[in-house]
Amino acid sequence: MKVYVVDNGGQWTHREWRVLRYLKVDTKIVPNTTPFDEIKDIDGLILSGGAPNVACDAARMGNNGEYLDKAEYPIFGICAGMQFLCEHFGGTLGPGTMPEFGGVELKVKSHDDLFKGLPDTFGVWASHNDEVKTIPEGFEVTAYSDSCPHEAVRCKDRPIYGVQFHPEVENTEHGAEIFQNFLDIIKEQRC
Amino acid sequence: MLGVEDFINETIEDIRSKITGKAIIACSGGVDSMVAATLTSKAIGDRLLAVYVDNGLMRKGETEEVEGMLRDMGINYKIADAGAEFFEALKGVTDPEQKRKIIGEKFIRVFERTAKDFGAEFLVQGTIAPDWIESGDGVRDTIKSHHNVGGLPKDMGMTLVEPLRDLYKDEVRDVARNLGVKASERQPFPGPALAVRCLGEVTPENIAIVREACFIVEDEIRKAAGAGEMEMPWQYFAVLLPSKSVGVQGDRRAYGRTIAIRAVASVDGMTATYAKIPLEVLDRMSTRITNSMKDSVNRVVFDITNKPPATIEWE
Repeated sequence: MKVYVVDNGGQWTHREWRVLRYLKVDTKIVPNTTPFDEIKDIDGLILSGGAPNVACDAARMGNNGEYLDKAEYPIFGICAGMQFLCEHFGGTLGPGTMPEFGGVELKVKSHDDLFKGLPDTFGVWASHNDEVKTIPEGFEVTAYSDSCPHEAVRCKDRPIYGVQFHPEVENTEHGAEIFQNFLDIIKEQRC
Repeated sequence: MLGVEDFINETIEDIRSKITGKAIIACSGGVDSMVAATLTSKAIGDRLLAVYVDNGLMRKGETEEVEGMLRDMGINYKIADAGAEFFEALKGVTDPEQKRKIIGEKFIRVFERTAKDFGAEFLVQGTIAPDWIESGDGVRDTIKSHHNVGGLPKDMGMTLVEPLRDLYKDEVRDVARNLGVKASERQPFPGPALAVRCLGEVTPENIAIVREACFIVEDEIRKAAGAGEMEMPWQYFAVLLPSKSVGVQGDRRAYGRTIAIRAVASVDGMTATYAKIPLEVLDRMSTRITNSMKDSVNRVVFDITNKPPATIEWE
């Protein structure tokens, strides 16, 4: 199974690659300027986080929009990756009411996909200044925290997922299981 | 780590194919550079020279300890004494990024001279993933310029070889244990050494203060962990702050420096929580520092910030 990581300049992009490798996936980090044609034959894609203020620095987010428009395979946006996909499909962004750096208690609303088999609440780590203010039409919230109402979202009719926190860092509980759940979604999609 | 033995075999092959002539390796004595040295020595044998730079900014007894490890490894090595050169270049500098860049360049100048004498065209470094990630690049912000990446001068006349670029510290330790590298459990120590634990100007006097305080912190934590009072943190040290505060010592007014104790738990250095050190242990460190260093330090504080939003080192 081929799952690539699009590098949006995150401190933890390479950690996402490491987690995928440990889950025995064929993976590679690709720049966000990679043309879609070069990654059209993979099985799933991660959109990494990054320093850009997604609402103002759209140019630094490269071809993420093209991947979201053209890919039929599942896509998983993390931090800035989730913010970008929400804005791309019509949501809005803004400075976080309460920025989150470090530990946050995640409250899960749906255990159907990314959080399958995981507890209703658990500790995750976040690091963001901005947040999703309104989610796009056709999306729903799958997890939140006391300081951020949109910690995780999914698209209702396409396999597109996003999380505001960072499942790839050591301090997030059940992080590898969230990635494994994404890989299971890819597997289902393929058959 | 997944497939440690495969990694070792493939890396040795890779180094052998890349290094066609002689090479030097930048060796601080930490686990990263000692693993890189061991792998490179297995690949090219006597064509490798390990260079340890005594930059005047190392911890108490460190140069002797590292020389002992290099001697035991049985590889070619050289200890370059460059303390005066580093202090001269750092005179009057207080900005952390400028410090890191100056130190990075000084290291390279020493390596260039040594490489010329040895006839080497290749420079091997134990660079690991957080070094290049935090140094920044076209898409990534610079959090801090690691001396071996962001601090490299552009006109360097050697070809770089960095066999550990994709590994994190926990993975390097797995490789070190497999190879029997003595430094496998040494705590991380920054390339710019005590210079980034000395906020403000780096002078021999300031370095002497932070060196002694680091020694006390390490010694007390080692003893407490040995006695089962606490677990060993991932990294633990003292930082000399650039501010002064008022105190009272034996009925006399004191106006001295502040030491911050920093200790963290981590796996890979990319996220970290402050270590939950028992209050009794903090108390012993505080009393020992302020008593034995009374002429310079009259206040000790404990850093309770995680990474993010802080970093592990203060600069």
